[in-house]
Amino acid sequence: MTTDTDQAQQIMLPGGEMLAWSDLPAEEPTDGGPLGVLGARVVPAGARVLLAGPHAPGFLDRLAHAEVTCLLRSHLDGVALAEHAAELPVRVIVGGPAGLPADETYDVVIAMSGLDSVESIEGARLGWDGVLAVLADRLRPGGTLLLRMDNPVGLHRIVDVSPWYAARDDNRWTVEGVLDAGHPANLDQLRRRLVDAGLTPGAFFAAYPHPKAITALVATEELDQGTSSGLLDAMLHNACADGYADRSVLQDPARLAVDALHAGLASGLAPAWVGYARRSPLPAVEPADLPVALVQTGPLDMGGIEVVTAGQDWHWRLTQPPLRTTPETGPAYRDPGALTGPIPAGRLLRTLLLDACLRQDLDQLRALLSGYAHWLDSCTVAGQISGAPALAGVDNVVVDGERFAVLDPSWQAAVPLPVNVALARGLRRFAAILLTGGYAHPWSSTLDLAGLTVVLGGMAGRNLDRATVRVAVETEAALIAARTDLNPAGQEELRDQLEALEPDSPPPGQRSYQQLHEAWLRQREELNRIQAVLRWTEDLITSRERALRRADAMIKVLSGSVSFRLGRLVITPARWARRAVRALKRRLRKAPNQRAVRGGQQ
Amino acid sequence: MHHANHFYGHAHVLARYCGFGDRHPPRINGYVQHGWNIGDGLAPGHPYVERTPSLLWSAQTRRRAWAVGRRNVVVVGAPFIYLLALRPQDPPLAKAMPTAREGTIWYPFHGWEGQHVKGDHKELIARIRDTEPGPVTVCLYWHEYGMRRVRRLYEKAGFRVICHGYRGHWWRDTDPLFLDKQLTELRRHQRVASNRLTSAIFYGIAAGCEPAVYGDPMVLADEDPTFGGTARIRRQWPELHGESVRLSTAVEIARAELGTDHRCAPAELRELLGWAHLQENDLDD
Repeated sequence: MTTDTDQAQQIMLPGGEMLAWSDLPAEEPTDGGPLGVLGARVVPAGARVLLAGPHAPGFLDRLAHAEVTCLLRSHLDGVALAEHAAELPVRVIVGGPAGLPADETYDVVIAMSGLDSVESIEGARLGWDGVLAVLADRLRPGGTLLLRMDNPVGLHRIVDVSPWYAARDDNRWTVEGVLDAGHPANLDQLRRRLVDAGLTPGAFFAAYPHPKAITALVATEELDQGTSSGLLDAMLHNACADGYADRSVLQDPARLAVDALHAGLASGLAPAWVGYARRSPLPAVEPADLPVALVQTGPLDMGGIEVVTAGQDWHWRLTQPPLRTTPETGPAYRDPGALTGPIPAGRLLRTLLLDACLRQDLDQLRALLSGYAHWLDSCTVAGQISGAPALAGVDNVVVDGERFAVLDPSWQAAVPLPVNVALARGLRRFAAILLTGGYAHPWSSTLDLAGLTVVLGGMAGRNLDRATVRVAVETEAALIAARTDLNPAGQEELRDQLEALEPDSPPPGQRSYQQLHEAWLRQREELNRIQAVLRWTEDLITSRERALRRADAMIKVLSGSVSFRLGRLVITPARWARRAVRALKRRLRKAPNQRAVRGGQQ
Repeated sequence: MHHANHFYGHAHVLARYCGFGDRHPPRINGYVQHGWNIGDGLAPGHPYVERTPSLLWSAQTRRRAWAVGRRNVVVVGAPFIYLLALRPQDPPLAKAMPTAREGTIWYPFHGWEGQHVKGDHKELIARIRDTEPGPVTVCLYWHEYGMRRVRRLYEKAGFRVICHGYRGHWWRDTDPLFLDKQLTELRRHQRVASNRLTSAIFYGIAAGCEPAVYGDPMVLADEDPTFGGTARIRRQWPELHGESVRLSTAVEIARAELGTDHRCAPAELRELLGWAHLQENDLDD
């Protein structure tokens, strides 16, 4: 093998490089999110690290404490990486896995883009097992492999509008899928392949919401055991709801993820996995505990969020001090510093409410909603609620028996809210999920969003009115505007959009075919109902008109009779007299008022 | 509004609860279940407009209604529980009336304008005499109350004979205080009894009476057998039948059947009845 060196960039070119190709996304470079955090966590200071395959340039910044060799197949990416890491102890090799220097071994090998993208299109193909064998062979005894593998039957493929086997992207010169016995296709198969390669598998992480944009890593063991955990419920839901926003999907990925969690399938249906394995013989001292979960929410400079085990509980921890905190202007701000200490256990209120709605369990709904309202009340001072509870909707509150608690306390209200407005906001958000999501529920289709909010308020034991709901919508628009840096015009437009949301609208955000179909069905049913009412009303008007005609005819008959005429002769003077008395009374009532007015003018 | 919503002054009670006072109740967007029912909550033969909300008393009735194809079925509880909320305690009774509960109020099963009841009233009277320990008030339905022959039978037996009023028909002549009168009478009595398990028995239990169901259940002309009739009622609620019934069980069942726990808040009920957007012009005196 001949190795050239690109003198300008200090890049090793052992052969097999792809010149007109890039694996890195064109979007703004990231720091690798939770993958980067996990990578940095397993790399001890001064370790020799092989970063195999494409990784975001920011990933390297997290490994500044190590000596890193990057193996890339794309020359363009190699140049970019070399430029980015000019000040770091980083070496870049561009080529296939065969281009690694023959005598080099590493303390840690990281392949967070999977093994397929380690191979170049040039030269003989090693295949998944072949690449794993090369990388495992480069590990020192006791060394660590951190490897991502995409799930061929993951949630992302289940919700995809295009079938996986019809891939047309430039990087799909071959289409790897579940039919390829050369690839492991589930967690067990992955573990076995690692063992076959002489490695000892350790912890595995489920990666959500999409292999190409991982924002949440959750330990598979915890996912399998914590099937009703409110934290994991919210974590998977939020990752999928944000990750698929404005994308077309077959069905709601957040619903599917939460359902999978409850069925103990969240690990099995994860879009990707990150496996941790070590080369035998293992050292006597085990490395530091790995986190339960790693999450990236909000902008990059807010820092990542970790969930770690402390005793019997889970605790919040920030992966690094946030580079900035959201300025305390507007109605809400984020305080990452609040993410410390134990995470309240319990089930997510949203899930409990949805379950009770689906099962038509009015008693349970009443208990949950009144519990929520009582809890909000308990956080008030003089009818005003502030801090995290003020913003805690049903998607951020966990319930453990009788106890309600905020799950993620980092979002805080800058100004206190009337507690009824906070409650109405939370209930309206839930009503929107229920109606636009097409969930079965115990109420009629004649209710609009505001109406259902009032009804939910009644279930909570509160006599909410529509005026309070309107204030809640304005508050919601202001809060979203504060989170997303909307200007006043944008906020007004958002408020109009929120108010325009109808029960037969699909959910805002992602375009889910299943939910669009459901929205169409709801519209059709509502149209049928209105048509039936129109027919009934027409029939009723006809029947009433007949009754009126009969009554009119009867009146005419009676008014022509002798007895009627005699009666009228008797009654008419009396009616005149009554009119005269009324007119006199009116004049008498007016007279003192007029005197008073004149008196006032003097 | 469907005319059945006016029966027994139900719409009037709901309007009072929702804060409209004694004004004529606005039109209800749906059918209010107008009596205890072992079917889907609607009276057999009543015209039904597809997907018009059925405002039902209990979760069990809602399940039945759904299972026979009704949609937009909502549990709101019986209008009687709204009356109980409006009148949690009555003012002290007039001097002429006893201050403590006494005797039994007995509701012979009734027919209506379209269906007459066939049965032996004399035999029933004998059974009542043999069973009831105290004075008996017999409450006849308007229809039977208007039959002098039937009324005289009960009067001759020494019973006090009353009628709560006319339930109304096709929006006419509804006695808006029908339920009020019934509640007042129930609260005067120790026991409530009938020869069939009916709304009155559940109302009585909710109003604090000890219930009893015994005697010939009589036959309603052309009775609709769709939901099983009296035989099914006896099979499904055997614990409510007999001259003496365990009160705690009865209270629990009545609570479920009347939907006591499902009583809505006024604003909530206004939404469910379609009264949330009413303007002053929409209301009649």
